[in-house]
Amino acid sequence: MKTYGTEPGIPEPVQVGISELVVSEGDDTLKSYGLGSCLAVALYDPETDIGGLAHVMLPDGDAADNSDIKPGKYADTAIRALLRRMVERGASYTAVEAKIAGGSDMFQFESFGEGVGQRNTEAAKAELEKLGVPLIAEDVGGKHGRTVEFTPETGKLIVRTADGEHGVTEL
Amino acid sequence: MKLDVTTLGTFYRMAREGAGLAAGRLTRMTGVETQVGITKLNFMRGREIRHDFEDGSEKVGVRVELSGGLEGHSVIVFDRKSALRIVEMLIAESDVDSFDEMSRSAATEVGQVMNSGFIDGWADVLETAIDVSTPSFIEGQTADPFFGDIDATPDDDDLALLFQSQIEAVGTEIGFSHYLFPERESMATLLERLRTNDGIEYDKLDGFDRMAEQGAEEVAKTATTLTGIETSVEIRRLNFVSLEAIPESVADERLVGVAFEFDGTPSGYLLFLFDEDSAHEIVDAMVPMEIETEGEGFGEMGESAIKELGNIMASGFLDGWANVLDTTIDHSPPEFIHDIGPAAVDPVIIQLGETQEFAFVFDTNVVADGREFDCDIYAIPDETDLERALNDLEIDKIDETPTTATFEDVENA
Repeated sequence: MKTYGTEPGIPEPVQVGISELVVSEGDDTLKSYGLGSCLAVALYDPETDIGGLAHVMLPDGDAADNSDIKPGKYADTAIRALLRRMVERGASYTAVEAKIAGGSDMFQFESFGEGVGQRNTEAAKAELEKLGVPLIAEDVGGKHGRTVEFTPETGKLIVRTADGEHGVTEL
Repeated sequence: MKLDVTTLGTFYRMAREGAGLAAGRLTRMTGVETQVGITKLNFMRGREIRHDFEDGSEKVGVRVELSGGLEGHSVIVFDRKSALRIVEMLIAESDVDSFDEMSRSAATEVGQVMNSGFIDGWADVLETAIDVSTPSFIEGQTADPFFGDIDATPDDDDLALLFQSQIEAVGTEIGFSHYLFPERESMATLLERLRTNDGIEYDKLDGFDRMAEQGAEEVAKTATTLTGIETSVEIRRLNFVSLEAIPESVADERLVGVAFEFDGTPSGYLLFLFDEDSAHEIVDAMVPMEIETEGEGFGEMGESAIKELGNIMASGFLDGWANVLDTTIDHSPPEFIHDIGPAAVDPVIIQLGETQEFAFVFDTNVVADGREFDCDIYAIPDETDLERALNDLEIDKIDETPTTATFEDVENA
């Protein structure tokens, strides 16, 4: 008979939905699927293996009312919340490094201005710079979607695309 | 009865809160890790609710009647297999394949624990007390035994506000749905109490939805005319959801889509999404010769055929809206996309997210009998625009406005 409950040995990746952020450590895998113009921000401390992933939807949380309830929704507040939670868990602020992926602009709609994906990427970069967190790898922009998996232990951010052209990238 | 977006937002949070509590209690009871799936406020007609429910599988439900701060019925529905698995876990017996007295009472208990989770969540958000009747256990395949005798369930043509949530047990096949059918009167009182601005007259929303229904029929007709594939509207509903829930409800697989922005009263975004097999079928039907495709793509001719179809369907759909609202709605040229489903939708919700947290989504599924044609249509208007458009809507006009079948575009194509 099939057993239910948490089955040992095959850890399911933890889904990080839109506007969510998750902090974890070790070999837990954090996954966000189907990023278009949304941006995945992965932070990790290589010394303690503590890391986190945010699935960011909008650039500017400081200008929004609900960013204290939903910090993961905005690039700036998500990065600060990830960093704070990681430090609370034992990560060392100065060791933390960042990787980002996503922020595509698949549609050229007039209402989108310069591009909704680009706005997210720029906001994330500006916030990382402000906080002095080095951005060590990125796979952003273009016109295609991405699914990402992040493991704090290795700091690896695996980026998958649907088309053969871009395939799988490891950041 | 008037709706406003803030109140619907409160209802949405209430549904989410309830689903969270219910999931937590199931975990405590069975030891199984659970997660909350999509939560939706649906405006659905009785016919659609029944159609949606009747997918041919055997179901088991636990139903309670609510009174006090919120009146109506709350129903937990499992597919029969899921219910039996849960019962196996609870009474530590293997291979339970029918409901005897003991398994029936175990299932009822689970359903009851879930129901009260939901109800406690709502009572918290609404800051009111809700009384619950003793639960009844229901088995069946059609909607009738589950909802048939509830006064609050709508007749075929009536639009009802329905709360739907899904909970899944992680790593298992167990999943179930929750339905809340509020009494109209009780709902009206709540809406009145929570309303913060003028809002939208419920009857106008109902009227507009009736028009949107005809718009959807037009799309199916257009598709049939252009492709020769006999198509029809399979399911259609008006959802009120958080923006984040929209891409999450799209299949996590490679889809083919045509996207538009539309501008007028209202403005917003319109997406047609096909699975890959359907897209190939459409290209085969529309392009008479064998086309050269590179790798797994559709080639230039294939892409342009799909865009052309999307363009004409979009005009049909939006003309229907413009007619009843007595406005003009222009749409952009089509944008083709062949990518992971949610990735095609998130740019749109990001743009809307600058000014709104929730959205009304006109969600339609068009299918063909016996052939691959499966098209999901998402029309997502800008919230403020939609509210304005609906307020300007003359309710008498809805029944007078004829369905507009304009096939001139097709001839010109």
